[in-house]
Amino acid sequence: MRLRTLSFSPLALVLCLGTAGNAFAGDDLPRHQLPSSPDGNLVVGLCDGETSVEVPGVKPGDPMTRDQAQRVADQLMGEWRRKHPGAEWTMAENAAPAEAVAQNDDEAAPAAPTPAAPQAQVQTYGAFTERDQAIWQASTEDLVAEGKRIFHDPNALGSTDAVSCDMCHPDAANTHPETYPKFQVQLGRVAMLRDMINWCIENPVRGKPFADDDHRLKALEAYIIAQRKGAALDYGKH
Amino acid sequence: MSSRYKSVETRHYEEREAFFRNLGRLGSLSRRGFFKVAGISAGIAAAKGLITPQSFQLIDVAHAQGLGGQGFTFAYISDTHMYVKSLNDRFVRSALKAVDDVNALDPQPDFVLFGGDLAQTGKAAELDQGAEILKTLKAPVKMMVGEHDWFLDMGEHWRSLFGEPQYSFDHKGVHFVTLLSINEPDFWTARHMTAEERMSTVEGLDNPVQGRFEVGVAGRAWLQQDLAKVDPHTPVVVFSHSPLYKYYRNWNFWTEDAEQVQAILAKFDNVTVIHGHTHQLLTNRIGNINFFGMMSTAWPWPYAPEGLPRLTVQMNRADPFNAFDACGDGRFDVLANGMVDQLQNLWNRNPVTIRASYLVSNGQKDQPAATTLPSY
Amino acid sequence: MATSQKWFTAAILGASAVALTLTAIGFAEDGSGQPPKLPPGVSAQLYAISVPPDRVPSPQEVALGGKLFQEKRISADNSVACDTCHDLNKGFTDHRPDYGTSAGVGGKHGARNAPTILNAMFQASQFWDGRSATLEDQAKLPILNPVEMAAKSPDDVVVKLRAIPEYVQAFNAVYGRDVTWDDLASALAAFERTQYSGNAPFDRFLAGDARAIDEQAKRGWALFNGKARCADCHAFNTVNPLFSDQKFHNIGIAAHDRNFAALARKSVPLVENATAEQIDELALKPDYSELGRFLITKNESDIGAFKTETLRNIGVTGPYMHDGSLTTLWDVIDHYNKGGVANPYLDGGIQRLGLAENEIDDLVAFLFTLTDDRFAAFNKEEITRQTALKNTRPQRETAVVEGKKGDLGDAGPDSTLRNPATMGAF
Repeated sequence: MRLRTLSFSPLALVLCLGTAGNAFAGDDLPRHQLPSSPDGNLVVGLCDGETSVEVPGVKPGDPMTRDQAQRVADQLMGEWRRKHPGAEWTMAENAAPAEAVAQNDDEAAPAAPTPAAPQAQVQTYGAFTERDQAIWQASTEDLVAEGKRIFHDPNALGSTDAVSCDMCHPDAANTHPETYPKFQVQLGRVAMLRDMINWCIENPVRGKPFADDDHRLKALEAYIIAQRKGAALDYGKH
Repeated sequence: MSSRYKSVETRHYEEREAFFRNLGRLGSLSRRGFFKVAGISAGIAAAKGLITPQSFQLIDVAHAQGLGGQGFTFAYISDTHMYVKSLNDRFVRSALKAVDDVNALDPQPDFVLFGGDLAQTGKAAELDQGAEILKTLKAPVKMMVGEHDWFLDMGEHWRSLFGEPQYSFDHKGVHFVTLLSINEPDFWTARHMTAEERMSTVEGLDNPVQGRFEVGVAGRAWLQQDLAKVDPHTPVVVFSHSPLYKYYRNWNFWTEDAEQVQAILAKFDNVTVIHGHTHQLLTNRIGNINFFGMMSTAWPWPYAPEGLPRLTVQMNRADPFNAFDACGDGRFDVLANGMVDQLQNLWNRNPVTIRASYLVSNGQKDQPAATTLPSY
Repeated sequence: MATSQKWFTAAILGASAVALTLTAIGFAEDGSGQPPKLPPGVSAQLYAISVPPDRVPSPQEVALGGKLFQEKRISADNSVACDTCHDLNKGFTDHRPDYGTSAGVGGKHGARNAPTILNAMFQASQFWDGRSATLEDQAKLPILNPVEMAAKSPDDVVVKLRAIPEYVQAFNAVYGRDVTWDDLASALAAFERTQYSGNAPFDRFLAGDARAIDEQAKRGWALFNGKARCADCHAFNTVNPLFSDQKFHNIGIAAHDRNFAALARKSVPLVENATAEQIDELALKPDYSELGRFLITKNESDIGAFKTETLRNIGVTGPYMHDGSLTTLWDVIDHYNKGGVANPYLDGGIQRLGLAENEIDDLVAFLFTLTDDRFAAFNKEEITRQTALKNTRPQRETAVVEGKKGDLGDAGPDSTLRNPATMGAF
């Protein structure tokens, strides 16, 4: 007698683990020896070859309601999870679907339909390639390199006394961009990194401060921030 | 009636004078660094038509005791990095301030060490300007060359002004050696660099194109030969612009042949290396050698991301609003036993004393005052 | 003169002026000690930092304090009260035409220029050298100082006040006990905690009224934050609107006409072992006073350093600096413009500024907009008085300013006047 195929909820959709038949060649495939129920109830086995659960009040061959079936599936799943705490029960795209093995049934139930492989989300913005990434990275590094150039060049900074940033900040040391916004004592108020860059240009470097949208200011910021890659953000740290 | 019914001023003046008379002078002072008020050096004062200089220095008791016998003092000014005055007056101003400080010392030190990097871009005009400024020092000056002085013309103008960069002398029982320790392997010929380009490369502390500093084969041979005649019990003081140990390679806080130089110095009981270039409070001890870094008058360097010697007590980071902060000059006290203590005169900050006993005891005794601000 | 008659009349009405001030503030009448409603230009956060909840003054305490503030009988010869040098109608300073420093009992001059009480409650420390941490501490010292109120001892003062029935009554009503020295200080401090001041044209400008100050003052505000390098020490932001960093700087005033070196030498042994009262006396002796903060901290880096005073109401609190040596705001800017006065301990942040005459005028115009509206009339008079003196400029040294002479030092870049709001959040 064949057990009618039950449609399990997606949660209970299971996969044979490790003990699946296709791991073995030859005739002596392992079989799940289901324990018999003293009351003659249906015993449903999980495809791990070990777990089974008795369904009281239901005899082999009886139809089950959806709820009953769901409860069976949940019980089996719960049992499995108890035996494998923390393990993940995943679905492989190409593996055989789960089967419920009937007690006295040598035949496998027909397979449930294979779910389709998930397709990549498609949109223009998200579909960037390695080539794109290479270009973007190069552009970023260009801005950083431009900032490095200006950082080290008194003339590019507009200095009137031949002072460049690297004189006090070799490799942008001690610029601590990750601590902004913070109270900047030299300005007497809270400032962002670019405010302090401009203050330094006005004071030790003795040039004209850059406008907020000046490309040079952005380049300097880029270089300074790039030197602190990986430093934890810590705004307000004095 | 008590004396309080005299006029207020009289009464208080009398009480203050009595108080003052009753105090022992030096004996009542707690242990402190030297306390001085600088006047203005004679030459500059004359030019400005100002009053004659007043000077004053209170030597702390422990120091006075330590000095006894053959003990003596020399001052230092280092890393002035001057452009010509018309381009940048700030560094010139700082150098003048250092000269004032040293000229105001009373008693005057035996000599003044100049620690290197007199000029910023090695131009003859800058070196000439620096020489003029140092001429106003009252005490005799011992010069040491730095990379900023050297790499424009490979030391040609320096030699004409100050003589050979490498030399030695004996003073009150101590053997002094000044090294040329900023040699770099040739990086400029293959790149077809002009002299200006070579100099510009060296000016960038973080410029990786330049080579690492070294004393070099010839320099070490010279050192070996110079020290051959010196008894191992003689205290030896080495002046070097690069640190003669390896602190941070990327910024040339480094001497490539440090171990070999240290090996040459190993036979002596007591060696002190005094170096410039690092522009920060920096001390170390390796084997038998105490290393003291000198402050710059022009600007401070931050501490390197790695390699800082454990014995260094860092200075608070600088305030860029204050042109003098984290800069300064100082003096070295050579004690009767030949050990050397350093007193850093930090502008706008309290002086910091780093004693040989601190280094020799591996940091257990006489710790210098510590910083309170975190380093980034 | 009409002016002095006016002030005389106003002084007579001093008590009522205090009462008016109180009602203008809008006190919590139930005396519950709730923080009052604050005007713009006075920061609630700073109030919370400066006035702990148990020290929020009650109206009764304030009234008592106000009376005591004007009580001459506290002084040794019944001639000097707090308001002698901290005149309520003159911005709480004394504006002596003849002398920069204040005078106490017997006309004796100390070495310091009485600072204003306005906003003193918000300061991190009191006195030009910060030797008192609280208003209560500060209130006691002038009473005992021989060149100020010259009382012989705290007990003397208490005995005198206990002999005056209205004070016995008032103290009992407020504190539940007879007059004590500490309660006296408490009452004075309570009164001072009502003397916050923040209703200036500049505050209205910041709040969005573009016409509250004129174009010249706006240029001055830009210079303040830029070429004139004021903002580091005279810090202004909405949490701390005092225009002061409350730190101590040697800007060279101490080195005027004095042999600074010999002075420092004499002072070291004295300062090492002195008590608080002795330091207080030293602070007012003409010579030692110039050592400033050093008398308190004994740090070498503090020699000749004095506290950055608030710039609020600066228009009406002349003369300027700790010794009152600068008469007008033009003199003040001249002093900074030339890089102060060279001395071995000059703060490294002081350097020549290279400001042109019109830029100096702009700065001064800006500074006059920092005066609270309640002193608007006096402010106007001060503008007139100081402008009349504008062409007498004893502090000006143009050759030094231009770098042609003197101690060199940086000048700021050509002024590119930017809107200070672009320099970061307030």
